[in-house]
Amino acid sequence: MSARELHAILPLLVLSAGIVVLLLQVSFRRSHLAAAATTLITLVASIYACFQVAAALPPGGGSVAVTGLLLVDHTALFFCLLLLLAAIAVAVLGFNYLKLRCNPQSTTDNYPEEFYILLLLVMLGATTLVFANHFASFFLALELMSLALYPMLGFSVSGDLSPKGEQSNSLEASIKYLLLSALSTALGLFGIALIYGASGALDFGGIAAAVAQLPQGPSLMLAGLALLLIAVAFKLSLVPFHIWTPDVYQGAPTPVTALIATVGKGAVVALLLRFFAHTDLFSIPALTSLLAIAALASMLVGNLLALMQNNIKRLLAYSSIAHIGYLIVAFLIGSSAFGSEAVIYYLVAYVITTLGAFAVVGLIADSALRPAPGGTGPISDAASDTLKDPVHDPFQREFYRGLLWRSPWLACCLAAMLLSLAGIPLTIGFIGKFYIFAAGVQGQLWLLLAAVIIGSALGLFYYLRLLLTMVQRESEATATFGSGVQIAISGHLLLFSLTAALLLFGVFPQILINWINAL
Amino acid sequence: MTLSLTLPAIIAILFAGGLLAWLAERYLDRGSRPIALVSLLLATALLGQYWGHVSGDISAAAGTPWWDSLQLAWIPRFGISFYLAVDGLGFLMLALTLLMGLFGLVVTWKDINFRRGFFYFNYLWTLAGVVGVFTAMDLFLFFFFWEVMLIPMLLLIAVWGYEKRTYAAIKFFIFTQASSLLMLMAIVALVYLHYNNSGQLTFNYRELLSAQLSPAVAYWLMLGFFFAFAVKLPALPLHTWLPDAHTQAPTAGSILLAAILLKTGAYGLLRFTLPLFPEASVAFAPVAMTIGAISVIYGAVLAFAQRDMKRLVAYSSVSHMGFVLLGLYALNTIAIQGAVMQMIAHGLSTAALFALVGALQHRLHTRDMSQLGGLWASLPKLSAVALFFAVASLGLPGLGNFIAEFLVLLGSFGSSRWITVVATVGLVGAALYALLMMQRVFFGEQRRQTTTEGEVLIDLNPRETVALLSLAVALVFLGLRPQLVFDVADPTIAESMVRLEAAGLSLESEESDKKLQTAASSGWPDADHKRGESP
Repeated sequence: MSARELHAILPLLVLSAGIVVLLLQVSFRRSHLAAAATTLITLVASIYACFQVAAALPPGGGSVAVTGLLLVDHTALFFCLLLLLAAIAVAVLGFNYLKLRCNPQSTTDNYPEEFYILLLLVMLGATTLVFANHFASFFLALELMSLALYPMLGFSVSGDLSPKGEQSNSLEASIKYLLLSALSTALGLFGIALIYGASGALDFGGIAAAVAQLPQGPSLMLAGLALLLIAVAFKLSLVPFHIWTPDVYQGAPTPVTALIATVGKGAVVALLLRFFAHTDLFSIPALTSLLAIAALASMLVGNLLALMQNNIKRLLAYSSIAHIGYLIVAFLIGSSAFGSEAVIYYLVAYVITTLGAFAVVGLIADSALRPAPGGTGPISDAASDTLKDPVHDPFQREFYRGLLWRSPWLACCLAAMLLSLAGIPLTIGFIGKFYIFAAGVQGQLWLLLAAVIIGSALGLFYYLRLLLTMVQRESEATATFGSGVQIAISGHLLLFSLTAALLLFGVFPQILINWINAL
Repeated sequence: MTLSLTLPAIIAILFAGGLLAWLAERYLDRGSRPIALVSLLLATALLGQYWGHVSGDISAAAGTPWWDSLQLAWIPRFGISFYLAVDGLGFLMLALTLLMGLFGLVVTWKDINFRRGFFYFNYLWTLAGVVGVFTAMDLFLFFFFWEVMLIPMLLLIAVWGYEKRTYAAIKFFIFTQASSLLMLMAIVALVYLHYNNSGQLTFNYRELLSAQLSPAVAYWLMLGFFFAFAVKLPALPLHTWLPDAHTQAPTAGSILLAAILLKTGAYGLLRFTLPLFPEASVAFAPVAMTIGAISVIYGAVLAFAQRDMKRLVAYSSVSHMGFVLLGLYALNTIAIQGAVMQMIAHGLSTAALFALVGALQHRLHTRDMSQLGGLWASLPKLSAVALFFAVASLGLPGLGNFIAEFLVLLGSFGSSRWITVVATVGLVGAALYALLMMQRVFFGEQRRQTTTEGEVLIDLNPRETVALLSLAVALVFLGLRPQLVFDVADPTIAESMVRLEAAGLSLESEESDKKLQTAASSGWPDADHKRGESP
């Protein structure tokens, strides 16, 4: 490896170094605040490294191949940057989440610092995935990401202040994801084996050569690619591989839900885009129609199932299924430059909006769980019993009744996120949807566009119902339940920056378009 | 070239006024109403700068149809610009928007007590969105404002509405949003096809006018636009959101909906659908006219069957807007002039009727006509004003509505006799429901007296009287001197007519059976100058 190659993967090296430092730091001195600080510093340093590498790359769409495994180019760096920024948001959310649930006095059963180690491991996996150019690095990165996610999904168990119900839900989410993820990994691995058998290559370049002379009709190669696609569809929770999504989203700690919804999916989309573009899989009708069917089903099923949800996290889970379906519509014309531009823009919109929505939901839930002043004991099961009452369960729609009057700022943030998800102008989600339409028209995907319209109309119903719940006049129950929702300064800052980005790129999309086109 | 900032200033004042009103109420606990009033007056004053064009002192610069325009690059990636412009039609609509906004504000001055600042925030933002819709000449910008006006309107219904407000609000929003997504698809497809043919990527309205489309594609795209505007209009069978939304909205919201938001649909048809797709529009005209005529009858019949006063007025809107659709698709100058006049006159008369129903509900806490009766004795002023607007709504000669409906029928008779005959029956229906409402509510025995718990009913106060009387004066003026409106709107309509007639002629050469229709319509245009002298 030359120095130039080492420099090209600087963001990955920084992340790895950060993990080691954090491990050592925790073994010497356990401090929640210090661990969070180290994580943030690592992430920021990694972002800085991204810019350094981008500046050093040869101009004009140049790229650096790092051994045969990784390929660093501007697009990958952009994705890397996006994921790292999302990770910062998750770290802030996680800090607020753990601060309330981990008792600093007791030393047993209580390891908030591990959350950050796992977070950095997930980020290492995700960023490696973005740079992957070979099935070995692809598989390694995907597994690193998944393996670190399992304990994170079950992380509620570690906070000794968490209610019992939350702990068991979290464990359930973790086990479900573990089992189903293992299955999909096995399928994907088998697919890779078939592809290797058919082409004798594991790097994307070699596969591209094999795909170019693919015979018409069924073949070993095609079967392998289809199996691989299934593994990816599982990670993206495309219908019909979506069954795990609502349970895992609901059970997991909210910061982890935000992580899996943004970083987990964004990295896979980035990889899919690169894999399809490098190996020119868009020219194989069998694969594109497979994706088209999955997208169609995701838009319709996701939106239909979301209609009946009263739990916000489940609602967002189903809506994220639908949103990945929209994204695939743009993806299907991805062979052109415009297609990848549309995918990237929509992904940015999706990440900002989803992060924002989960941030508001998580911060509100944290404030509802705030133990009695001065109390250090665990939130008793009696307390968690009252949480079953829909008005007091912070994840139920009823809890949000009249939120606009109690906490206008939080409600406005959530409203902006919901409108962005629904694709209403002034928000980034609208420009994203506009890109989907433009891409669909270019590819003449009329059936899929019809599904986008139907899906959006269905989506409006549940987004609006939540929005209108927030503006309902106070009922007596909530009026007595408490006045404003108190959240930490870091939470406010996070929400402010997310909302500002959402509005900025919604009103002046040209800024972001210029960045994307400069890739 | 100097930058003309009048149009963006109007929009900005309304947006800023809305924000200020909200903040003032939140931090000072008062002041939102004066802020709303001042910002509306300021916006109206700015609009008044264009009066010179109306009175004919200033004529538009040669080579451009606009009185004033502003174009800035917005999203160059897609050839989208921030392009605002105003011409005669736009001016009429803007004037209607701002004056009705003022009327709604003044007449419901004391109605809102819950979160007043947020109410006026939504109120002004809706108006700002509508002003944007009426001035945007970039299709993307148009769609942008088209959506921006919806959210505040949704909140107006959902927060300050009556019993079933959430249901009505969601229904309103889903109908309009789903149909406008079809329009977005049509816009994108139109731009894309234009780009493929000419190599020029633009959303600019005037440049898209020259887009070359194959007839089949144009027909589909036209349908995409038509759907969105027909929902807003509303035309049968896409009208079902309207009775709910109008009935459940607070009085000021109903006024906004009826007087202004419905007009955006008609405006869109006239400004975009007809000129952008002239051939397809000519081919589609019989269908659209049939829909219009059926809407006229259907609205009248259902209005007749209502017990809820607000629902009655709402269904009468369906009927009146049916005339607009009929007139627009008659595709000749007279009928389109009539449709424009109907947009204005209906805006005035229906807004006044909603204000009156609101005033009644405020005093009596019911709008159920079976519980009302004989109010003339206790509320003489209110009843007299109501009588005036009821007969205006049924089309009494001498008032604006009569001119409008007469012209629409006159114009469309040349295009399609039988459809016009059917629509004319609607006039009888209008007389029936309007008079029935008067008879049930204001005449007859006093059913309500037993339940008023001895309180004295307060008649219209000076504020309400002045607001309502000014509308009445405006209607009389429109009825006696309609020529002013015709002159202002004429250049816009003439331009559309040129395109439509060219399209009609090209169709005529293909199909000989359309000959009679275009011959008849080309015989009419001289007559409209006499309308100014009608009583």
